[in-house]
Amino acid sequence: MISLIEYVIAALILIGVSFCFVGSLGLVKLPDFYMRVHVPTKATTLGIGSLLIASTIYFSILRGAPAVHEILIVVFLFMTAPISAHMLMKAGLHEGLPDVDGEVEKRRG
Amino acid sequence: MSVLLILMLPFVGILLPPLLQRQGRLAATLGAGIPTLLAFGLLMSLGPSVLAGEVLLASREWVPAMGLTAGLRVDGLGFLFATMTLGIGLLVITYAHFYMKKDDPLGRFYAYLLLFMGAMLGIVLSENVLLMALFWEITSLSSFLLIGYSSHDSEARRGARMALAITGLGGFCLFAGLVVLGQIAGSYELSVILASGDLITSHDWYVPMLVLVLLGAFTKSAQFPFHFWLPNAMKAPTPVSAYLHSATMVKAGVFLLARLHPALAGTSPWFFLVGGVGIATMFFAAYVAFYRHDLKGLLAYSTISHLGLITALFGFGTAGAAVVGVFHIMNHAAFKASLFMTAGIIDHQTGTRDIRILGGLRKAMPFTMVLALLGSAAMAGIPLFNGFISKELFLKETLDLPLMAGAPWVFPVVATAGALFSMAYSVRLVHGVFFKDPTEKTPKEARDPSMGMLVPVGILVAICVIVGIAAEQTAGPLLAAAAGSTVGGELPYYSLSLWHGFTLELLMSAIAIGGGVVLYLQRARLYEIADRWPQLTGQMAFEKVQGLILSFAEGLTARLENGSLQRYIVLLLGMALVAGALPFLEHGFVTGTAELTPTNPVAIAVWALLVVATLATVFTHRSRITAIICLSVVGLLISIIFVYLSAPDLALTQLSVEVVTILLLLLALFVLPKVAPPESSTLRKIRDATLAAIGGAGMGLISWAVMTRPQDSISDYYLENATYPVGGGTNVVNVILVDFRGFDTLGEVAVLVLAAFGVYTMLRYARHTHVEGVDDMASDRYPVVLVSVSRPLLALILLMALYIFLRGHYLPGGGFIGGLVASVALILQYLASGIDWAKERMGVSFRYVAVAGVLLATLSGGAAFLVEQPFLTMTLLGLKIPLVGEIDYVMTLLFDLGIFLAVVGGTMTILSQLSHMQEDREPFDEEARAKETDPWKP
Repeated sequence: MISLIEYVIAALILIGVSFCFVGSLGLVKLPDFYMRVHVPTKATTLGIGSLLIASTIYFSILRGAPAVHEILIVVFLFMTAPISAHMLMKAGLHEGLPDVDGEVEKRRG
Repeated sequence: MSVLLILMLPFVGILLPPLLQRQGRLAATLGAGIPTLLAFGLLMSLGPSVLAGEVLLASREWVPAMGLTAGLRVDGLGFLFATMTLGIGLLVITYAHFYMKKDDPLGRFYAYLLLFMGAMLGIVLSENVLLMALFWEITSLSSFLLIGYSSHDSEARRGARMALAITGLGGFCLFAGLVVLGQIAGSYELSVILASGDLITSHDWYVPMLVLVLLGAFTKSAQFPFHFWLPNAMKAPTPVSAYLHSATMVKAGVFLLARLHPALAGTSPWFFLVGGVGIATMFFAAYVAFYRHDLKGLLAYSTISHLGLITALFGFGTAGAAVVGVFHIMNHAAFKASLFMTAGIIDHQTGTRDIRILGGLRKAMPFTMVLALLGSAAMAGIPLFNGFISKELFLKETLDLPLMAGAPWVFPVVATAGALFSMAYSVRLVHGVFFKDPTEKTPKEARDPSMGMLVPVGILVAICVIVGIAAEQTAGPLLAAAAGSTVGGELPYYSLSLWHGFTLELLMSAIAIGGGVVLYLQRARLYEIADRWPQLTGQMAFEKVQGLILSFAEGLTARLENGSLQRYIVLLLGMALVAGALPFLEHGFVTGTAELTPTNPVAIAVWALLVVATLATVFTHRSRITAIICLSVVGLLISIIFVYLSAPDLALTQLSVEVVTILLLLLALFVLPKVAPPESSTLRKIRDATLAAIGGAGMGLISWAVMTRPQDSISDYYLENATYPVGGGTNVVNVILVDFRGFDTLGEVAVLVLAAFGVYTMLRYARHTHVEGVDDMASDRYPVVLVSVSRPLLALILLMALYIFLRGHYLPGGGFIGGLVASVALILQYLASGIDWAKERMGVSFRYVAVAGVLLATLSGGAAFLVEQPFLTMTLLGLKIPLVGEIDYVMTLLFDLGIFLAVVGGTMTILSQLSHMQEDREPFDEEARAKETDPWKP
């Protein structure tokens, strides 16, 4: 039983970490601003989300009582991460940062 | 106790007229009149015992370490002056109601008048000389407000400024003199000082002390060469002149001479300084008064002359002369107040005060004429008026001066000449205004004014006549009591009767009266001569000096404050370096003996990051936003360091401060020009880098030296006493902030609020026009996603702020952090929904919140007075609140709430001003701007 949960936790941590890694990699590799904004948000929601679920399970079992701190963090992250990405995008559009397809320049005329 | 009440009534009354003026002018007048009347009544109830020679004392400790007590004293002299201050004050309040313009609601006027009245009462009723000096300063300040009451008039402002400069400077000298006096006598209490006259006059410091004290008295009483502020103060509304320049302000100087007479008088420095200046002023001012064409100008110089007469009398140093001096103070107050009011009536009814224009008013203004005639007769010293008796006694005193044995004729001759001019200008006043043929038509049709203006004058004139006819029976007892405390011993023999036989002084009087009339008849020729003389006045000298000081100050400011921020930082840092380096150079650098704490990889990693972030800030400084982001990395790392060193309070504070500052900085950046300024020269870069490196190294060395020493600081005490029964909390940081070092916190919060107000004032009219084409792809000004999330977040963050605030006494948190967190929540609304939306919903201006916070913190600190504890002593109260439980640190919590509010208010004031500037919606308001123009600019 214990070992099964350990596997679950380990899997969650690995999933989270790989999402975080992909996110960071994307930040370096992706060609334009709009794509780069895209990746860290996925990393925070999915990556940090998985890590936090892992943490919830671990501490709930360790203490024998449900740990809810992490849920609060998740709630805040899910509220703030998409919005900051949204605002960054808007700022980019406002400043007229170029994209790979030249779509922004075309629309601006 | 009733003495204290008399003094407090005018001060309490200050609030009434401004509050009542909405109910009309009459309400404002009553608001000023009733406290005065009450105080007058209370004073009169003390009359019998004071006139019997008693000295009433009431004292309370104030600042014992400085020798300052809130001690009051009512003796004969104080009683006389208090009677004049309140009595003439009442008449002036009545008179002003009818005199002042109908559209002036009078609230502000009466408030200033009561402030002045209270201060004047304070001077004359103080037992402690330091307290007296305090009230002395308040009279200087409040007379500034009164003289400059017509603040739109640049002449009035100039007059007020001059009066403040001269009397303020004198007050400063007086304060120094009184401190020396107190040191000599060993006490600041008048009872002690007055009893140690011999000790004082024989002391080495007697002469310097005397000069300082006399500078105070002479500037206040407008003695030569400091007289020129008084004629310039004539721009004040006439009721103010009637009050300040007859019975109160200028009499404070001679009051001081009378008050300290027993302790200081009788020496030859005293005689030559006081007597000499007095007699010179008396003659000089009488001479000038004769040549004044403005009624109030004439009266102003006449006042200076009579003050000179009184000063001279006290200067003679004999008991007999002092009695006459006190008597003339009473007489002068009565006739000069009446004459100023008469001048005001003439101005009010005809529209001019120029004697050359006026004339023949006896038919149009018969009542006024009678009153002016009687008042002037008293001023000139005609028999059967009060002025005659005191002048006669004065002339008699000049004949018998032991210190002038070598040249006994000097004083009598100068005094007679002064009296002669005094007669001449009095004749001119009456004849010129009422009898001679008018040269021009007056701006207004002249007629007698309403009874409300005539009655106060009538009362004063009646006093002049009654005292003139039966001095001994009417003024006798009051004079005896007042002179008794001036002389400080047995009263000498004196007679107030009208007829002393054919004496030398009678002859001198006759010469003065006859000569005065002759002089007036020859006036045309005299004016011609005077016009040819060059004009050289003290006023010119004053303005010259003022100009020099101003241009020096402006030059210095221009050199130091040239608008270059780099220069300010260089100067500031340079000074700090010099101050910091001096101890090192003197004592050398010594490392302490304490054992070094072992380090670990985490600390080193954080430190390295910190260095990298700092360097990044420096190297990216040309791209402002990047630099700010690097700077915020530094801030966040510091808060991590605080966590690492187990200082959660500091970490929390640092974190919230970081967020708020970065937001404010970003907003401020928005206003800066988009183009970065040219790069500094290499030389400059080297200079800046060197300074920065030395500064940083110095801080490092100091920290090293301090932290390697074995610590034995007050923090151990704080740690031990934070909990019961002293502090009553478990969070030592919070207990230190709100209790142990509460005074520091209060000061810091006040500074924060002041800074916010500074930003507010500076940016009030600044406008930044930011017009950029908003792209259609990002055209929604307030993105709906951000708006809809920020609103629920507001509630959440505010709740968190409240939680942090409430738990502060026991766990990391408190008012400061709570306030910052709340600010963040509010800032978010500004960002998401725009200031207009946010402002509409805030309901209250943040400036008021900030002020309310400081006020609440101060009041909760002051609550300690109720239990007779020093300021900011946080008493533990057991208070049960339903649902919450027992809270025993109520006062602390209130204080912390004050800090909370001040932080929110201060931060949000800055923020809303910064963002307001960018909205650029209100049109630039030229009119409001014009109202803000500097009232100090001539």
